[in-house]
Amino acid sequence: MKKAIDPIKSEVIARFLLATAEEMAATLMRTAFSPNIKERADCSTAIFDEAGEVIALAQRVPIHLGSMVGAVSEILKRFGLSQLRPGDMFIANDPYNGGGTHLPDINVIAPVFVRGQLVAFVANIAHHADVGGMVPGSEAAVCKSIYQEGLRIPPVRILNEGKLNRDVFEIILLNSRTPDERVGDLNAQFAANTVGTRSVVQLFERYGVKSTQEAIAGYLDFTERRFRAAINRLPKGRYESEDFLDGNAAGELCPIKLVLTVGKGRLHFDFTGSGKQLESARNIPYRALLATAYTVAKAMLDPEVPANAGYYRTMIIHAPAGSVVGPVPPAAIGCRSISASVLGDVIAHALSKAMPKQALAGSGPHHLFVLSGTDPRNGVYFVDYETVAGGMGARANRDGVDGVRVHASGSSNLPAEALEHAYPFRIERYALWDESSGPGQFRGGAGVVRDYRVLADDIVVSLSSERQNVASPGMLGGGAGACGAFILNPDTAHAQVLPSAAADIALPRNSVLRICTPAGAGYGDPKKRTIAAVQSDVLQNRITPEYATKVYLEGDRYES
Amino acid sequence: MEKVFVGIDTGGTFTDLVAAPLRGGRYFYRKVPTITADPARGIIQGISELLEENAIAPEAVAFLVLGTTLATNAVLEGKWAPTGLITTQGFRDVLELARQRRPHYFNLDIPKPMPPASRECRLEVSERVAQDGSVVTELNLDQVRQAIETLKEKKIETLAICFMHSYASPAHELKARELVKQLWPEVYLCTSHEILGEFREFERFATTTVNASLMPIMDRYLESFERGVKSLGIPHSPRVMQSNGGAVSTLAVRQRPVNTFFSGPAGGVIGTVGLGQQLKMPDLITFDMGGTSTDVCLIHEGVPAQKSERQMGGFPVRTRSLDIHTIGAGGGSIAWIDAGGLLKVGPQSAGAYPGPAAYGRGGEQATVTDANVVLGRLSPVALLGGRMPMYPQKAKQVIDRLAKSLGVSAIKAAAGVIEIINVNMMGALRVISVERGEDPRDFALVAFGGAGPLHAAEVARSMGMRHVLVPPRPGLLSAIGLLHADVRGDFSLTRLLRAESTHLRKFNAGLVQLKINGRQWLREEKLPAGTKTRFEWFVDLRYFGQNFELIQPLTKDSLTVASLKKLVSTFHRRHKAFYGYDLPLQPVEIVNLRLVVTALKKSPAAAKPVLPVGAKRKKLEQRLVWFADTGFVKTPVYQRDQLRLGQRFKGPAIVEQMDATTVVPPHCQVQNDRLGYLHLMLDVEKNSRSTS
Repeated sequence: MKKAIDPIKSEVIARFLLATAEEMAATLMRTAFSPNIKERADCSTAIFDEAGEVIALAQRVPIHLGSMVGAVSEILKRFGLSQLRPGDMFIANDPYNGGGTHLPDINVIAPVFVRGQLVAFVANIAHHADVGGMVPGSEAAVCKSIYQEGLRIPPVRILNEGKLNRDVFEIILLNSRTPDERVGDLNAQFAANTVGTRSVVQLFERYGVKSTQEAIAGYLDFTERRFRAAINRLPKGRYESEDFLDGNAAGELCPIKLVLTVGKGRLHFDFTGSGKQLESARNIPYRALLATAYTVAKAMLDPEVPANAGYYRTMIIHAPAGSVVGPVPPAAIGCRSISASVLGDVIAHALSKAMPKQALAGSGPHHLFVLSGTDPRNGVYFVDYETVAGGMGARANRDGVDGVRVHASGSSNLPAEALEHAYPFRIERYALWDESSGPGQFRGGAGVVRDYRVLADDIVVSLSSERQNVASPGMLGGGAGACGAFILNPDTAHAQVLPSAAADIALPRNSVLRICTPAGAGYGDPKKRTIAAVQSDVLQNRITPEYATKVYLEGDRYES
Repeated sequence: MEKVFVGIDTGGTFTDLVAAPLRGGRYFYRKVPTITADPARGIIQGISELLEENAIAPEAVAFLVLGTTLATNAVLEGKWAPTGLITTQGFRDVLELARQRRPHYFNLDIPKPMPPASRECRLEVSERVAQDGSVVTELNLDQVRQAIETLKEKKIETLAICFMHSYASPAHELKARELVKQLWPEVYLCTSHEILGEFREFERFATTTVNASLMPIMDRYLESFERGVKSLGIPHSPRVMQSNGGAVSTLAVRQRPVNTFFSGPAGGVIGTVGLGQQLKMPDLITFDMGGTSTDVCLIHEGVPAQKSERQMGGFPVRTRSLDIHTIGAGGGSIAWIDAGGLLKVGPQSAGAYPGPAAYGRGGEQATVTDANVVLGRLSPVALLGGRMPMYPQKAKQVIDRLAKSLGVSAIKAAAGVIEIINVNMMGALRVISVERGEDPRDFALVAFGGAGPLHAAEVARSMGMRHVLVPPRPGLLSAIGLLHADVRGDFSLTRLLRAESTHLRKFNAGLVQLKINGRQWLREEKLPAGTKTRFEWFVDLRYFGQNFELIQPLTKDSLTVASLKKLVSTFHRRHKAFYGYDLPLQPVEIVNLRLVVTALKKSPAAAKPVLPVGAKRKKLEQRLVWFADTGFVKTPVYQRDQLRLGQRFKGPAIVEQMDATTVVPPHCQVQNDRLGYLHLMLDVEKNSRSTS
């Protein structure tokens, strides 16, 4: 008979582990170097049980939710339990070999021992601004294979019983365009695991190894049960949905197709019928697929369920090998977080059919651009990796959120003032994009406009995006959100729309690069929008009276 | 006439007042209900009663300090004044874009917070300054004029002026401010370089706009409060506690209401600092547990930890404040079972009404207090010195119900509730100690607030802390702390440049600017002649490319080639000590220059210990109390006001007094010291230190 688990001790131990993961994250962010980790918090920390199941996760970015799934078993497979020692740490970044979801995300994992017994793993993941490859920032939609995306690191020892493995370290540094930053960031990752190990050891010593392990197992079971209860509130059945990524060539599309089956306490996701993997970096590797499914299901069904492997067990996810959602090497995957936003819409759409009262319309994913060159103020070569958020789709009961990351994406922006200190650009406009929202009874969230004035001579930019050709789809009569765009020298006689994906476009001194990000779609017939809401949008200059008349007021002229 | 100091701690339910003559160690107290509709009125009434009851002449009141939660409540309830914003062309949406994150990653029904200035009241004007302070585009004054006209039509009451990089050069903000003052003298007004002279536009704009939105509210409140104080015949104008632990003039607070978000809990921290000086115990952690929330703060070498940013109403507010960490867990926190079957406690609270079931006011849900009653820790008869009857059978009923759903005994359920609330408390203590690189075992835990002494010993023990202190009046420490506050102002200015001698002139010009700001502020504080003041200088340093700064003191108000060099080498050393590594070849940047101005003032002498009162040697009461190590055990119940000074006893024990109950676990040694502080010495395993 299965032993009854103590619901109180499980909660106490889980709280402690979560606090430990938070403590690791605090250390990582406090000591990291690159703005990407410190300003934009593009990092997460986790604690695994001895079998590699996630038991506590302090996430700063939802896509990291599934990013470390399977990382531990890959280490065990390669090294075997007997070769692990206290003070060891492993490093990995290859999505096809126990790494995360794209090469810039470097995992650092440490086994934790109590009196010689392996009891847990602590791990963290941080987005590094550059790990080599054909483009600065190691991330561009135009990459055709993972070999173009940077250094691939399988799980290897980076710390050997507490001592740095300088051989591996040097290889990583040499492959980065910004090696100094890498030193600082990797040191911060080691420090975070050291702090985590110390706390986990304390916990196991306080409660005893066996009793702690039982409580942890119980906690995962409780989490699973809780999520099954949420699933059982949905009507059982099959729910289908489909949406499209931009393909390889202009005008080409790549479908993501889902049949979601809601069973008893179980969600089954089947992506059969999705397009073939692309010869571009838009492919979504397995762990990014998991992360997106975990994130969207949690958000739609039970936002407060603890982020651990207990609830992962309720979801079965099938993606055919060689498809855009199940790519095989050497498919490029660098821009997976943008494609994963479209994937998130597909999953949300299917779930919306099962739970129409909390439906969520399509969203506008962030755009990615990497600016690089030499800063004339100090002669230093730099890589500025940035993303700008789009807008969230409307729900069945409220407007979408303006200018925000959606689904699995979650990092924050780089402040204009910080940017101007660090890099030779001037931000001339940073605003919500008026009239971009998909109209509806509830409107979508607006996209964002951001203008960069170039103040140096050798600047190049690489561009990556989704939803520049396929707009976020509205729901129940709601309209689509505006598509995104990259524009060179906007509002001038020689304004030029740039490709939605490109590498190494030269930006002359004094030119202006405009980023317009896609908006969220609307929900419900725009004519059903309340007059008060329309008036408020006009008053706040989000739409003009003409637009209000045309879209919302069934031919009645808007009178203020 | 002997000078008397008065402190007023406004809480959510009650306001505590305390008066103390400068000498003699006598303290007088009064508790009055907080009138939320007109907070000033209740307080004035309370002061009047306090003075009358203790025959204190109003003219004798030399120093009156108010701890207020007005700004905090206004933000939490979104009760801002209608606010306008004038900003740089292209940037009016900064407040809405925020940092582009969702307020909650998974809960999609939480919208982004609404800025105090709605979009139609955020107007752009043509102007631009670069990050080095140079002008890219001149300020267009005509557009400022137009903006003023538009905002007049919108009937805003208060206005924030926020331009890009104004910390590097405030010239444009000053010009715009001048014009507003001229054309619209009656509008409340603040500029971003005055409120926060630091880079990062969202944080600066948000802090400034939140400040502007609170100015009218704070102004009206303090106006009414000051008038009331005057009408009582108190000759001195009152002061207000700030989040940084310093008390300042009402004028300063009217201009910078954002400085008061932690005005309330700051009293407890300053009270603890005072206690530490008296007992010569410089390393303390405060544990202020009330009905709905708990505040903790770390004090190292007599100095409370500080923090420069807090989230208020979803917006980052960057002002120097004590690093008080608040969690929504207290005696009234409700226990519940989640869908998976796990026991959870809080953050919902039963509040004062209906309150815990044990209060007999109709509370139907099991709370921490009910668990404490079931376990015999709280008196089954009455609290508040007999004024508040308890209903233990009602506590038993709700705990029984909880136990049934968990499938465990009532005792196990009650003990579980306590264990979980305690682990929440540990989490809070870890945030302010371990996460900041401090070892809690080097500190004593000071327990106060209504529920602090109930939980302190067990929380301390699980943190490996050996020493718990319970002050003589745990429920009133915050109010007493207000009497001890010095007058303090914090000033900062971003000068984001490499720490190299080529920039010396810019750094020194910045320091001069700060000194001017500090002196100006000091003049406005109108301190009595002869008041001693102290100017302390600091800089924030980081490695080039880093984004978290280490704050470091300067010995002088200017930098030289030599002192700059020393500053940098000290930085490398401290970075190594703090983070475990340094990068000697990496350039170091100065980020912010800081000035702290303190005006020292006298404080009342510490309270004289109260001698045992009432019938002596009454047979010690006993009741059954549950402890994890022993289960229910017959436990003596001491009355605090009957303890002899110097008396020692051993746990298990309960110590009851009017404003709190102290739980002493088995094997714990207690001493009531000569000043009336209870010291609990815990039997922490000796080897626990070796684990970290």
